[in-house]
Amino acid sequence: MEFSLTEEQKSLRDAVIRFARQEIKHDLSLCDKEGRFPIESWKKCAEMQIMALPFAEEYGGCGSDFLTTVVVLQALAYGCKDAGLVHAVITQILCGIQINLFGSLEQKNQYLPMLCQGEKIFAQAITEPEAGSDALGAMRTLALKVDDGYVLNGTKVFISNGPIADVVIVFALTDPAARRLDGVSTFLIEKDNPGFEQCRPIEKMGLCTLQNGELVFRDCRVSPTALIGREGQGAIIFNESMEWERSLMPAAHLGTLERVLETCVGYARKRSAFGQPIGKFQAVANKIVDMKTVFELGRLILYKAASIKSQGRRAGMEASIAKLFISEGLKQSCLDAVQVHGGYGFTREYELERDLRDSVAATIYSGTSELQRSIISRLMGL
Amino acid sequence: MEIIESIRGFISTEICSGSVQKIDDADLLIENGIIDSVGIMLLLGFIEEKFAITIDGDELIPENFSTIATISTLVGKKIG
Repeated sequence: MEFSLTEEQKSLRDAVIRFARQEIKHDLSLCDKEGRFPIESWKKCAEMQIMALPFAEEYGGCGSDFLTTVVVLQALAYGCKDAGLVHAVITQILCGIQINLFGSLEQKNQYLPMLCQGEKIFAQAITEPEAGSDALGAMRTLALKVDDGYVLNGTKVFISNGPIADVVIVFALTDPAARRLDGVSTFLIEKDNPGFEQCRPIEKMGLCTLQNGELVFRDCRVSPTALIGREGQGAIIFNESMEWERSLMPAAHLGTLERVLETCVGYARKRSAFGQPIGKFQAVANKIVDMKTVFELGRLILYKAASIKSQGRRAGMEASIAKLFISEGLKQSCLDAVQVHGGYGFTREYELERDLRDSVAATIYSGTSELQRSIISRLMGL
Repeated sequence: MEIIESIRGFISTEICSGSVQKIDDADLLIENGIIDSVGIMLLLGFIEEKFAITIDGDELIPENFSTIATISTLVGKKIG
């Protein structure tokens, strides 16, 4: 059992942290306030080839293994305080993973190079107004088969990157009468496709730079070549996609947690009360120790999941545990970080309140904590 | 024979937790709700580990998991 990263992974991690600190320069406070997507920083992430990491070189990718991808995303979230931007980058990678795993050769040749270069922004549309945790069971968006392809009708909500996406991976029912496991299909739809409408971004509590919105399909006609994989394969693609997502999103959460932890350690050493640094008081130290515990244990389960996936094996249980443990740990740590900083923690200037607002979403998207527990219990045979 | 019985045993005990009396080779697993999306995750984990195979993306289609017989055929092909 080896618990250390390779020299290459360490140097890549250090390079990404340097990049994030030096090159991601947008006014985060302003972008957060105005709900603006930092497109210049997105382009810089693309130039740094972060979106290209896990894809083959023939598509413009870096050919990195999955553990390396996770390490880099953790580093990005550690060095870059904009969790919305990091989320947008991860969404792009996840779309690429689906195309890479299930797309045709033509789809890979057409979409992966532009995805790796960040030239086009990708989104995946699963959630609907009445279908959240029960995404497949309650799905209503229909893709009716016609002579020259499919006609989509329905609405998707909260779609990350949705309002600014050039290409959207859409899940829809092709056989509403069938069991959901073989009644759902997956389509690649471009933004200028007639019948496809991107609504304005939704205002949110956190992750304000990430653009989330409603996507509407009204008699949206697509050719058969828009289908990813086979008709009826959508639920399986969704399942696979979620396993990758639950291994990638926690990498970002862990990077943020690491930064918040370091901020708290620094503050607790420097700030004094009653004649000594506040870190000397158990009531303060215990909160920071809990953060450290979550960070160390979270890293173990996340790297375990990523290592398993790097070996081409399944890590459904590990990914769900990582998602649950790290997102909940991040939320509690951010709340504690504000408390440790007292009045300063409550100010915008110290930026912890934004981390706290952002962290709440982590326990909701990619399957709520409640859903993760439900999946884990099923995987345990309960 | 060993493959098909292993798969049947796993589905009966681990996925259905013994709630289904008997599953025949040709019983429709998805259509009858014997296997759902989490069930597929469990089953894939089992067959990949048990038979030391990897099921690729283009093989992850509902038809390959529709009955115990089709799953067994897929596994048999992968083993070679």
